[in-house]
Amino acid sequence: MKEVLVKMLEIKNLKASINEKMILKGLNLNIKPGELHAIMGPNGSGKSTLANVLSGKKGYEISGELKFKGKNLHKIDVDERAQKGIFLAFQYPLEIPGVNTNNFLKTSLNSIRKANGKKELDSISFLKLVKEKSKELGIDEKILSRQLNVGFSGGEKKKNEILQMKILDPKFSILDETDSGLDIDALKIIAKGVNSSRNSEKAFLVITHYQRLLDYIKPDFVHVLSDGKIIKTGCSELAEELEKTGYKQLN
Amino acid sequence: MIQDFQINSKEIDKIKEINTAEKKFRIKNLELFKHSGFPNKKLEDWKFSDFKNIIDNNFTKLDYKNESYNIKKIDLLKNFEHNYIILLNGNLHSNNFKYEDKNKIKINSYDKSLNYQKINNPLVFLNHALAVSGYSLEVEENYKFKKVLVVYNFFTKNLKNKVLNNKNKIKINKNSELHIIEYTINESDFKFINNSYENIILEKNSKFRSIYIQKNRSNGFFHKYLKNTISFNSEYSNLIFSSGLKFNKLDIECDLIGENSKCNILSGLFLNKNEHQEIKTRINHLFRNCSSYQKVKNILTTGSKGIFQGKIFVKDIAQKTDAYQLSKALLLHDDAEFNSKPELEIYADNVKCSHGSTSGSLDEDSIHYLMARGLSREDSSKLLIKGFLNDVIEFIKSPSIRKFVESKLEEQINGY
Repeated sequence: MKEVLVKMLEIKNLKASINEKMILKGLNLNIKPGELHAIMGPNGSGKSTLANVLSGKKGYEISGELKFKGKNLHKIDVDERAQKGIFLAFQYPLEIPGVNTNNFLKTSLNSIRKANGKKELDSISFLKLVKEKSKELGIDEKILSRQLNVGFSGGEKKKNEILQMKILDPKFSILDETDSGLDIDALKIIAKGVNSSRNSEKAFLVITHYQRLLDYIKPDFVHVLSDGKIIKTGCSELAEELEKTGYKQLN
Repeated sequence: MIQDFQINSKEIDKIKEINTAEKKFRIKNLELFKHSGFPNKKLEDWKFSDFKNIIDNNFTKLDYKNESYNIKKIDLLKNFEHNYIILLNGNLHSNNFKYEDKNKIKINSYDKSLNYQKINNPLVFLNHALAVSGYSLEVEENYKFKKVLVVYNFFTKNLKNKVLNNKNKIKINKNSELHIIEYTINESDFKFINNSYENIILEKNSKFRSIYIQKNRSNGFFHKYLKNTISFNSEYSNLIFSSGLKFNKLDIECDLIGENSKCNILSGLFLNKNEHQEIKTRINHLFRNCSSYQKVKNILTTGSKGIFQGKIFVKDIAQKTDAYQLSKALLLHDDAEFNSKPELEIYADNVKCSHGSTSGSLDEDSIHYLMARGLSREDSSKLLIKGFLNDVIEFIKSPSIRKFVESKLEEQINGY
């Protein structure tokens, strides 16, 4: 019988430290295709470290198990993880002067296509794709002819991350506080980007401080991260509860 | 150590069609050169580029003899329509101004006039003593070139130990405009020295733009002294992309002598293994309401050395001067070296002068961001490097020329 892929991401007893300071202290998390998990937690609980470690960022000392689609991620570099379908929407997208957003996106998409044995897209098909996705999200495609994130407002940067997610069409997306600092309209765009991508093959990990985003994106599971560990897991009601009581009650 | 760097004064006797005054001028300059020798780091202007030491380390013999050279064919650029001049080891070989009104253009071999302002640079003395090649170009009044002029600066195969001195002059008369690309093609398998002196004169309401770029790597050691005079309402621009040279020093002096005159110097250099390039500028604001803009960008790989010495001089009467200077260096290896020496000398009290200098390595967070989008480390670095140089390239208005320069820069970057 053909083995059905039941696990997208498996994290067992994950520990991560940076500059000899331990941030993640034995984290366990399983995500299946089709699921959307939200991680909430107070400042300094390790949310962004988790996102960075999943993306493969250098500088962390890591132990424990980290598997993506059944394969160990430990020795796989950042670019290869992206090519395998892991996408991180950055909390603080970087400004890259002198690099045109469209050119960058095309290079990015084609690197990923190439790694997956697909034909590279030519400029015309690429621009068509970009037009379609920006329209779908209601993003002004003019920002794409500007330098990557340079002079973008906070909202534009976050919307640009979601547009990148739509274009690259990853299997597993991590949103690191993508909702922080957004007005309600931008928040809706982000939610639309996520909701329109959800299907039985894709999975999401949404990191957020506030329940507000979860009014628009319905999670299957909500986890509370505190001091480097997941201390509570529940369904979307847990987020609402947290909004009322705060994190302190849980400790 | 090398002993045989002496020049025989007979070299001057061999120069044809020379009058007494010229001979005197040459002998005087030869004496000055013999007295100083090749410049070394003890001279303030050469403190980061010890030319004597570099020559000692690379040559055991130097050959100052002037020779005539031949060439069968040069492949002309096909990227855009252009007029051209061909220089063969600095000598004016041929020219073609097929897109222009030929009555408006005068082209001759090097300018024989002797009224040069004394410049305390041993290599300029050497040039004044020995240069018998080069070109002199004059654009008549009220004439704008329709197409760019490419100066093919071609160096032949057989230049072992040669010291080539050449002298060029460009004069743009009032209300005229010229754009040139100095395109250096190197075929020499051996080390040689090219020592140029160039004079560019912009009369009222004129415009001049130049781009320096190489076709390929070279075993040449280059020095160029550039003296520019910019008059009322005129604009001078120089874009330097001269990567791929073992040694290159550009010493640029600009005199802004009329109101609203403007000078732009921009460079984007990619210094490969052990290459050494220096840009030294001196912008003299000698009249009110003039502006100057300098942006020097260097990318340095292993063992390379880059230098920017930039001076802005503002005379007491040059009120409302607007002068800007920025130097940025990106060091890709620990053993790369970049030296920056900005200088301001201001005697007027109502001026705007700013300068800045930064150097650093590629930003790891930016690389992580790009890699998280599937780009390899190498591609991410290249993208950041290209981005770093981009604002210099954007200064080029013509899309076809910009594309040409971009593709050349890409070759330079990919070679690393």
